Amino acid sequence: MGADWALRVDRLGRTFGRPGPRSEAIVAATDVSFSVAAGEALGIIGESGSGKTTVLRCIAGDEHPSSGSVWLRALDGGETDLVRLAPSQRRTLRIDRLAMVYQDPAQGLRLDVTAGGNIAERLTAAGWRNFGQIRQRAAELLTRVEVPIGRMDDLVRTFSGGMRQRVQLAAALALRPPVVLLDEPTTGLDASVAAGVLDLIRDLLEEWGLAAVVVSHDMAVIELLTRRCLVMHQGRVVEAGLTDQLLEDPQHAYTQRLVAAARG
Amino acid sequence: MALDGVDLDVAEGEHVAIVGTSGAGKSSLLRCVWRSYLPSSGSVVLHRTDGTSVDLATLDDNTLADVREHEIGYVSQFLRREARRTAVEVVRASARRRGVLDQAAAGDLAVKALGRVALPAELWNTYPVLLSGGEQQRINLAAGTVAPPRLLLLDEPVASLDPANRGAVLELIARVRDSGVAVLSVFHDLDAVRRLADRVVRLERGRVVAVGHPDVVLAAAGVAS
Repeated sequence: MGADWALRVDRLGRTFGRPGPRSEAIVAATDVSFSVAAGEALGIIGESGSGKTTVLRCIAGDEHPSSGSVWLRALDGGETDLVRLAPSQRRTLRIDRLAMVYQDPAQGLRLDVTAGGNIAERLTAAGWRNFGQIRQRAAELLTRVEVPIGRMDDLVRTFSGGMRQRVQLAAALALRPPVVLLDEPTTGLDASVAAGVLDLIRDLLEEWGLAAVVVSHDMAVIELLTRRCLVMHQGRVVEAGLTDQLLEDPQHAYTQRLVAAARG
Repeated sequence: MALDGVDLDVAEGEHVAIVGTSGAGKSSLLRCVWRSYLPSSGSVVLHRTDGTSVDLATLDDNTLADVREHEIGYVSQFLRREARRTAVEVVRASARRRGVLDQAAAGDLAVKALGRVALPAELWNTYPVLLSGGEQQRINLAAGTVAPPRLLLLDEPVASLDPANRGAVLELIARVRDSGVAVLSVFHDLDAVRRLADRVVRLERGRVVAVGHPDVVLAAAGVAS
């Protein structure tokens, strides 16, 4: 494990319910460990129900893990386990140190607020007060994600799926958090729209040297964005390696099936 | 079994070519060094620029990713998919991964690298998927050599080139070796092997059956010159 990690996850687990006389606890994720360095994207691939999104939500603080620890270099130099923080403290991390980009933009944006307003909310949460500066920064960000500046004052509800995803990226990355979590960021978009959003994500990660965790069921997304990857199956990491090695020489039977399905 | 007990070494500024019939394990061997294949046994020791040594076969993924980016170039027959990036962007991105962080400097290096592989300037801003196999191969080679690695792995780098472009690429490979890079290559083209290789390793069914000077190994294999 590299010493220069930006995010570190150690033996993370998430169980729903308690085992009783007639029911067993549902294990969504168990014993998941990894680290990601600045400027590096790590992929988590697996089918629906493999636990990959649960892992991401536990890191983001949207869910509370049942076991394990999460460290962020940007918090106390990585000395504090995020899992032990109070919910209010966890939420402040989401302002400028840890961003989450959801598959559904409605989860990461307020649809009844303008594109500019969604970005302004992030900036004001971080203490920005000057209206002119906030508007200028929002305009810069929207330009960077290729949303026409003329649409800055339109409600996000009026945007297409691809545009909404671009606005979500601009808002999530408005304060350049060092770590970004992306959950199926292009699933549900038309192929050509998805391609444009993927390119944007790749460019932003490279340009800003962010550490990223990308969750997807789509090999093509993982191949394009990441250099290392974990394969999850039934809540467990069954294989980890460099992305091209997992694609060319998958070791676990489940990974072999995934690759065969994607290439078939 | 794709490979069985293969031993070989490549020195700085040396070009070692792997030859053998299809299925002999040539590409598998390169991939084991690059580690897109996981070797089942054995070690792949790289002496790094900083004087330390690492075993690529067992190195942790994080460090391996760094070593690859900074010290190993891998030019396969196929362009790694960098969808929707133009030729010059593909090569520039490679320079940036090698540590040339300044956009303008990386861009300059990219243009020079594309010039060295004799790719016509009017193609530099085209998407590689729209180009011929030979043109894609040269973009791939430009990306692999834009900032010289310590070890360059070449898998059939001239397979789909016409004679004129083949000549330019062979010259480039010779220059890279002369600059002190260790080169390990797979060629079908034995004339290229004779011109470029300092030593030849011949594989048969995954085993090394001969090592030596190109003329000697190729003659012993009964290959007509």
